[in-house]
Amino acid sequence: MKVNFYNYIFTALLSLLGIVALTNFHIYMDKYEVGILIAAVVGFSYLGMKWNRFKHFFLASFALAFLSIYLYQGDISQANSNFILKYFLSSQSSIMWMSALFPLGLIIYWFYMFVKQEFYGNFASFLIWAAATFATSGLLVRWFESYLISIDIGHIPISNLYEVFVLFCLISALIYLYYEEKLNTKKLGSFVMIIINVAVAFLLWYTFTRGADEIQPLVPALQSYWMKIHVPANFIGYGAFAIAAMVSVAYLLADSKFWQKYIPAKEILDDMTYKLIAIGFIFFTIATILGAVWAAEAWGGYWSWDPKETWALIVWLNYAAWLHLRLIKGLRGNILAWWSIAGLVITTFCFLGVNLFLSGLHSYGEL
Amino acid sequence: MSSMRFAISMLSIVGIASIIGTVLKQNQSYESYIIKFGQFWFEFFEILNLYNVYQASWFLLILLFLVSSTSLCVYRNSPRIVKEFKHFQDNVKEKSLKSYKYSFEIPFSDFKKKDLIKLLNQHQFKTKEKLINNGDELIVAKKGDYQKLGYIFTHLAIIIISVGGLMDGNLIFKFQESIGSKQIEFLDKPISEISKKSWLDTSNFSFRANMLLVEGESQGVGVIPVKDGYMIQDLPFTVSLKDFNIEHYSSGQPKSFESDLMIKSKNNGEVIQKKISVNKPLYYDGVTIYQSDFQDGGSKLNLALYDMYGNSKPIPMRAEIFKHNELIVDNQKMNFEFEDFRLFNILDVQLDGEMKPKNVGPNYRYKIRNDSGQAREYETYQYPLFLDERYFFMSGMRNTPQEEFKFLRIPADADRTLDGFMIFKDLMINSKQVNLAIKSISEENTAELSENKNEVTKSFLAIWQSFITGGYNSIASNIDQNVPLQNQEQVANTYIKIIYLIGDKIISNYRENNPDFTKFNFDNEGVFTQDALNAYSDSFFYGSNFWVELKDFEQVQASGLQLTKSPGQFWVYLGSIMLVIGIFCMLYIQEIRLWIMKKSDSKNLILAFASNRDQIDFEKFVYKTKEEIKDFYSK
Repeated sequence: MKVNFYNYIFTALLSLLGIVALTNFHIYMDKYEVGILIAAVVGFSYLGMKWNRFKHFFLASFALAFLSIYLYQGDISQANSNFILKYFLSSQSSIMWMSALFPLGLIIYWFYMFVKQEFYGNFASFLIWAAATFATSGLLVRWFESYLISIDIGHIPISNLYEVFVLFCLISALIYLYYEEKLNTKKLGSFVMIIINVAVAFLLWYTFTRGADEIQPLVPALQSYWMKIHVPANFIGYGAFAIAAMVSVAYLLADSKFWQKYIPAKEILDDMTYKLIAIGFIFFTIATILGAVWAAEAWGGYWSWDPKETWALIVWLNYAAWLHLRLIKGLRGNILAWWSIAGLVITTFCFLGVNLFLSGLHSYGEL
Repeated sequence: MSSMRFAISMLSIVGIASIIGTVLKQNQSYESYIIKFGQFWFEFFEILNLYNVYQASWFLLILLFLVSSTSLCVYRNSPRIVKEFKHFQDNVKEKSLKSYKYSFEIPFSDFKKKDLIKLLNQHQFKTKEKLINNGDELIVAKKGDYQKLGYIFTHLAIIIISVGGLMDGNLIFKFQESIGSKQIEFLDKPISEISKKSWLDTSNFSFRANMLLVEGESQGVGVIPVKDGYMIQDLPFTVSLKDFNIEHYSSGQPKSFESDLMIKSKNNGEVIQKKISVNKPLYYDGVTIYQSDFQDGGSKLNLALYDMYGNSKPIPMRAEIFKHNELIVDNQKMNFEFEDFRLFNILDVQLDGEMKPKNVGPNYRYKIRNDSGQAREYETYQYPLFLDERYFFMSGMRNTPQEEFKFLRIPADADRTLDGFMIFKDLMINSKQVNLAIKSISEENTAELSENKNEVTKSFLAIWQSFITGGYNSIASNIDQNVPLQNQEQVANTYIKIIYLIGDKIISNYRENNPDFTKFNFDNEGVFTQDALNAYSDSFFYGSNFWVELKDFEQVQASGLQLTKSPGQFWVYLGSIMLVIGIFCMLYIQEIRLWIMKKSDSKNLILAFASNRDQIDFEKFVYKTKEEIKDFYSK
């Protein structure tokens, strides 16, 4: 009954947020963006109802973001002069905190795996929740900061490689936390967090060597409401595939006597891999289709065999084949695990390799 | 052909071909492929159609195979699936039920059939009752039938998407080309001279054409690039560009570009006017008109040519982008081909200690072609760029389009103009000024040089002469020939110092004689002198005697439009929706069957669960449902 009450408050708060946003900013939004906002309120409310911790996380992220926005007082230079903003809550600082918490979480997960004391497992999960909170708050604040720089520069921070890497870390962490809770698989954190930390390492390298954290204005092709749905849908796909691959690593290790003691049973790992690939596949399919619809509007054709499109197709075919063999042919075991790891290689190439090595229409995140 | 193995191997080939298509940049000019791969491999790849893999006949053929294979698969399996969808498997025996993996016996006293069915219905089971002879009863329950329909949906979706895609492909054109009724045009010609065989008329039901429209002009045809050539696509209307606008962010990056278009129907003369921009196309008469890019539409430039080695006034020149200019200097003919003018150029430059993108102002590209037809390409910026704490005029040169530009940097004077350098290079070859400079250097250093002053003056002059005829390079080759190896470095340093001293003296003499001239007034004059000497020396690698300065310009822009007719789009979208629904059904609906058998001679009910997917979730479901049924009977 108590939880139920919390649900109502959460939904009411979210709706209030949505209404405030609509009344204040509807003049800057087109009808699709209004639709996306409403869908976001409904979607996050639903997720919150289904998943208690998501509510804490969501409220904490927004609280941090609003505090940060309040501290800015409408002046971007506060980022360097206000103590709290400079060290905690400006978007760059939040993202740095995220980048510190993920490695810490990884270490504690490993410690937990060998020590097997529940306290450490809970602590590790808490750290990952905290990292996700800072990531969300960082992105929200970055969104706000972009408008502070100039009203015409303002845009949702999912438009370049730096921003989507933060998004990737965030979404992957949330997907993992969801399954950790539902399937009670804390011991997998030590594997799953590896891939997220690789992304964090890249993010840091990219920030410090290339100054990638600078907010850049949007090129005309990206100025569309489609970005707000195409990119997140894609990253749910990427994130789920990445975690599935890490779970598959654990699946393969579970064959050895040594590791058996430290990781969950193979059936659970197998089930989790399937669930991750299934959810990733459905979102990746939707993202690719939305991408095609957007392309038809921006580039004059729903399919141009642009390298990113082509690689998305290859990723799609790869996981379609994986699901086909598992569901229709009933294939199980190490082959599928190896396959899902190979899938991560293909996915990484689609996500990053295309930007690194190939040129094309999707050249927004060039290195 | 409907076998999975066949489909998977075909899919693999499609995958590999697609990868090749992403690695090998598609639809480039054949010339650039030849340079990249050499003649042999170029031809080999051409036979395989690797330069436009996705339009290659073999690629389309494989796609066609895949579509037929999938269709066959759907055709074969659908009747069974539809039948199973309706069918309850009520023809089961007690023995077989007991052999199920999830089979249980539950004690009961009263069967309470109606309530049981109600309970099952509450759990989304559809049920069927059956009375078996001798008083045995069977309830068959099932749920999640839509999982099976998901199979039909996804596969049908793939067929529909592929057919939609093929509708928008160029199969018909390929056929017309193969029987010779259509022919690709490879030469750059005025539209009126293009043969009718290279025209596609308005009845063409699917195309993707480009149109480059200069402000104030109109056009009624589009150009479709095919292989290394193109086709002309006739349109049911003419498009006029009334105005083209680019907006920029404060940093100079383009924020938006939009074309103010006027469309006039060729059929009924209807005229409409509309602004289009990126992400906001215009739909008219079955054709979608997109803003895709922009370029120069023939800007007019007012230029001045400075001869780097001749002491003369700059030669004025008027030029227009895309037009050829001929210039005869000293009986030598030079062909200037101006190719592009860009008003905004965003480069990463040093700003407040950081590298930031900034608009550095206009630049212009041109080729200088000599009589034998060879051309060098130049890219010059109108305004000086801030580099290494000072301003330079920049002009890049390359011999082939594959190379990167190599830049000649001419230091700007104190007023940030070219004049300072141009005066300096004139003075450099003015023998009177050079002699004066050398003389005063030797006088200032009388103490050291008194012994053989004449000889020193002579050697200074020789060094200077060598420098102005070939820069540091010529000095270096002199040293190479005449100085023993162990002394070369020392001598080179001395020579460089001497050249600098002379250059510096020339400038300071000029300043003394022209007190009103302020363009040499630097905080640190020596830096300018050194930069100017370096620029002069580098100019020998510039490939042209002339520095082309832009005085002023009149910009004319052209808007790049894309025109598409895509009847397949509807089918692709329809297929996509089906695909998502289908995948959702397949992955998230669990098909479950449950049999409950009441034997007239037994105190126990037989329960059996089955699913086509044996998963952890199913097991959980089974135990939960079993417990519920147990509770139902123990009440």
